[in-house]
Amino acid sequence: MFDRHQDLKTIKRCKRGEEAAFAEILTRYRGAIYNLCYRMTRNGEDARDLAQEVFIKVFSLLDRFDESYAFSSWLFRIATNHCIDHLRRNRLKFLSLDGAVGKDGEEYELQFPGKEPEPDTVLQRKEAMEKVEEVIADLPPHYRAIILLRHDQQLSYDEIAETLQMPLGTVKARIHRARNLLQQMLKNRSYDL
Amino acid sequence: MKDRKNTEGQPLSCPECLEGLQEYLDGTLEKQRSLLLFLHLRDCTECRREHDQLKNLYGMLQTLPDHPVPEHFDEPILASIPYEAYRAMEPIRRERVPVYLEEEFLPAWIRSSVVRWSGIVAAVGTVATTWALQLPPTVAIVGAVGLVPAVLVALQGVGRRMVLAEQRTES
Repeated sequence: MFDRHQDLKTIKRCKRGEEAAFAEILTRYRGAIYNLCYRMTRNGEDARDLAQEVFIKVFSLLDRFDESYAFSSWLFRIATNHCIDHLRRNRLKFLSLDGAVGKDGEEYELQFPGKEPEPDTVLQRKEAMEKVEEVIADLPPHYRAIILLRHDQQLSYDEIAETLQMPLGTVKARIHRARNLLQQMLKNRSYDL
Repeated sequence: MKDRKNTEGQPLSCPECLEGLQEYLDGTLEKQRSLLLFLHLRDCTECRREHDQLKNLYGMLQTLPDHPVPEHFDEPILASIPYEAYRAMEPIRRERVPVYLEEEFLPAWIRSSVVRWSGIVAAVGTVATTWALQLPPTVAIVGAVGLVPAVLVALQGVGRRMVLAEQRTES
């Protein structure tokens, strides 16, 4: 999705201290990183702060970037880890009604009284989107990140494996579980698609 | 739900169909399996409903609206970049070559000019003697080992010059 060779050329210019090159990278990626942070946190201010911190970190560490990998993978890895760290620090904020994360990072079921389905509600597409966004925000952070990388950023399985530094099989299994959980949570809330 | 046995090439059961549904929609399911799944979906209302829901969900996930980036987002980032440090590092970075091309990579005794020239003289002498006295060629081959230090140092030098020339072209 992102042009690896174009990125590499721009990064080489960044390393020479060309101001315009940094601005180019920012223009190319700020939307993707801000939206990733926004969907990870569901909070505009947090998303802005996190995304800015990600870019500041990346731009100060360019000398450590291994050019044999895609720049986008490195950037998304830093952004994903930064968001997950933020969520861990603010753990209470992301306890969901459908699932939460245990010490081992796996989600467990929280028992709450069932929510009554709203009668005769025909969801418009826009409303349905909002519901989906709401449910994504309640996924455990690791699942949320992988769903966003796959569907929102439209990264391939290979790119996600490179981004999250995981074996391809683990990526596929985690995406599979994340989608199942997403579907289950939509059903639990009686959100018809 | 239809309950069918899992045999190679046989129609899929509902659990098998549901198991492969995500890969089917991703387009990563193997061809024969995709065909079986397609046939199962054609006949099974429940699995088809599941398929439609998942497809719809995929569609929505793929088209989530973008949230606009806040105003003045770039300013603190661009202000924090250590441009001068990058510029100051540039000449040092440009001179950087892979470890195996750095002189110190080879032991000092190999790099020593005495060893290199002695090796060259010994090798040339052995080859000349072998030719003059009609000795077996293996003697000349053993003598040529003396060229190794000089060849290693020369190859390293050529490699280093090539890398630096490439870096200069890029910049």
